[in-house]
Amino acid sequence: MIYSSLIFIYGFLPISFLAYYLSPKKRQPLVLLLLSIIFCGMLGLKYLLFTTVFTAVNYSACRGTAHYRSKKAASAVIYSGGIMFDLFSLFLFRAEYLSAFRGSAGLGGNFFPIGLSFMVLSAIGTLNDIFSGKEEADRCFLRFWLYFIFFPRLIMGPPLRYRSFTKMVDSRKPELAEIGVGMTIFVKGLAKKVLAADSLYLLYDAVNATSLRNMSMLTAWLGALAYALCLYYTLSGLSDMGTGTGYCFGLKMPQSFNYPLFSVKIRYFAARWHIQVVQWFRRYITKPLSVHFNNRVVKKLIFICVWGIFGFWYSFSINGLIWGILIGTAIILERVFNRGVILKRTGAIYTIFVAVICGVFLSGDTLSHSVRYLFAMIGGGGGFADAFSLYLLKSYVVVLLITMYAATDLFRNMMMRSGKNPVRTAVTAASPLIVLGLLILCTALISYSGSSEMILMKL
Amino acid sequence: MTMTKLSSRITAIAVLAYMAYFLLLTVFSGKAERSSDENRELSSLPSVSLSSLADGSAGTDMGTYIADHFPYRSRWIKFNTALRSEIGEGIVNGVYISDDMLLDAEASNRKKASESAADVNAFAERYNGALYVAAIPTSSGVYRERLPEYLDNYRESQQITDFYEGLNGGIKRIDAFNILKMLNENYIYYRNDTKWTSYGAYCVYRTVIQKLGFLPTTYDKYTVRHVTSDFRGNLYNRSLYSGTDPDILDFYYYSSGAEVVSCKGCYNDGTVVDKKIYDDRQLDSDYMYSAYLGDDVPIIKISTNVNNERRLLVIKDSYADCFIPFLIQHYSEIDVVSPELLDGPVGNYIDLSDYEQALILFGIENLSREGILSNLK
Repeated sequence: MIYSSLIFIYGFLPISFLAYYLSPKKRQPLVLLLLSIIFCGMLGLKYLLFTTVFTAVNYSACRGTAHYRSKKAASAVIYSGGIMFDLFSLFLFRAEYLSAFRGSAGLGGNFFPIGLSFMVLSAIGTLNDIFSGKEEADRCFLRFWLYFIFFPRLIMGPPLRYRSFTKMVDSRKPELAEIGVGMTIFVKGLAKKVLAADSLYLLYDAVNATSLRNMSMLTAWLGALAYALCLYYTLSGLSDMGTGTGYCFGLKMPQSFNYPLFSVKIRYFAARWHIQVVQWFRRYITKPLSVHFNNRVVKKLIFICVWGIFGFWYSFSINGLIWGILIGTAIILERVFNRGVILKRTGAIYTIFVAVICGVFLSGDTLSHSVRYLFAMIGGGGGFADAFSLYLLKSYVVVLLITMYAATDLFRNMMMRSGKNPVRTAVTAASPLIVLGLLILCTALISYSGSSEMILMKL
Repeated sequence: MTMTKLSSRITAIAVLAYMAYFLLLTVFSGKAERSSDENRELSSLPSVSLSSLADGSAGTDMGTYIADHFPYRSRWIKFNTALRSEIGEGIVNGVYISDDMLLDAEASNRKKASESAADVNAFAERYNGALYVAAIPTSSGVYRERLPEYLDNYRESQQITDFYEGLNGGIKRIDAFNILKMLNENYIYYRNDTKWTSYGAYCVYRTVIQKLGFLPTTYDKYTVRHVTSDFRGNLYNRSLYSGTDPDILDFYYYSSGAEVVSCKGCYNDGTVVDKKIYDDRQLDSDYMYSAYLGDDVPIIKISTNVNNERRLLVIKDSYADCFIPFLIQHYSEIDVVSPELLDGPVGNYIDLSDYEQALILFGIENLSREGILSNLK
């Protein structure tokens, strides 16, 4: 059950609101846990079992690490055992080359625990915080369980620290206005997924269906641009839907994306793209590694490598690794050559340019495919433009322009600016209608099959 | 209270009320068993078993069930089609939308029909008479220039050629594709269905019947009756797009020609029913095209007052339904078999040595489906 499905929007969601708001405030976390268990159960009892085992192992590892804190060695053994288990499950299910092993282990070659990648990040982060004494191990298993399987966080994160999560749950303010805010974010995410990402995916798919050998430059660029935008809208759409759902329960979950694609600097792109995941990599890998080195060049290399790992975490392939390394390198280069200068428009164009070029690596199946694709982008395929690329341009120009505008922060900034602004007043006044209208539009778009399943990458 | 907060509350109330309304409607409204717009059975409440719960298919089935029985489903789908034809290329559920005609956009995703070719070969081994094969293109093949080029990377002409090349030497092939392609200025394909019209079938009939050794009945001999101008076919069922003109179904009558003496349909269990070549009652059904030969039955036995003692075996799919009426003028007996509907090999139901000629007539879209001809083996 993905968020962008009729059964979730018109079944699970309203019923869970009812259950949540009818129960006494003290019991609400328990209701959330029950709802999350049902959500997991709908994805399969196997999945529920997996998440339960995963939580139980991590719970024991956390308790053990904390319990033996005075005996450093014992604590370290349990701690690293926990980390090994988490990494093992991550590799077991995500690495394609282990699919045969999965099959022979009786797990079923096709079984994939949705959101595993985020669960693993959360688990490793928590274990690390406990080991280093920044965090106490929670005695309450149920709360710990909720941390892992809380359904608005299940599909697309964000990987919060344990303390931030419990604080968020404890300081919840469930009220009507929050539901309004939540539904606005949810519908925004739904529209990102169903209106933007799914349309862009068609364009990307159309380009992919043609052979690279005689692909014209324009076609190649359209496809690459469509992929970069589609990736952004898919990931941020799903995480917005999760965040919005959280808000509806009065939980102020952070947003994962902050209009990264048209940032004026690559550095800002990096700071606004999958924010909590990037932070996680910085907190748990870059920083602890960098402490040991004083050499600037080594620090930069570490920075680039960690971006590579982040990219690898996305796709579990060499291509993802290269995507990360390229982005990391671009950030470093920018830091070296373009320190203070902020170029407004050219900066934004440069950022999307880098994102599109790097995206070619994330989208390709193999390295050679991506390289050949880049070759087509510089005109190595079949000339500048052909009938096909003009057809695609004609069909998708409106989609591209709208999605590109919506990927910038221009509209948001206008709404945030202080002072009286008639447009802002009008938008605020009309927002209930806009939200409802978008929800109806998106419902129509998923009405045929009942859901929109395309998620580009298994995370 | 600030305006933002007020507007948030209104949003909350509006969205909650709207979601609750649809939730209640979904739960309490009557559940239709089939959708006449989509011409298909809607899914029934999934039965829950341990294995379906374990792998999550119960949840998926429940999602499909909710989608199938979502209130005003047809209207939502029409809205969806209208939206999608505005944004992007206008391809909805694999149907390419244009105001002239709907086309199957997934025609080039088909697999090679080599399995079907092998089944035909196996049949030819055991059959001693003359065997003719006709693979009929869909509208996407004949009007391929209306589709964007990239949707056409495995052309239907190529699919048919590949299929024909897989057939053994002695089998006679009929090049329906080029006949239809040449005539594509005419109304030979439906605007809302993948299939040919009666006129398209007639044009191919002229060639087929000569190969079978007869002179074709000329067009002027026929009285054509437009029985409906409201037909919307399988491409409409998938998209519910009503921007194209609905289609016309024609019945061809040859008043001074031979007549059908009896037309019986036989089911697998041996039940025999009366059939009609043109069945008007089907014009009230969800799929008007079934007016040709009526409901699907595995075997139809047609006898005519033609006095030449010649018998023809036709092995076919729905493409032949509007083709068979033209054959009546030439044979005393025509037996029509739909191998897909048979429970076992065709030899269990009929004696192949009864026929000196056999015609296998299928749409290429069906030939590429797995196991469609497995009962010919």
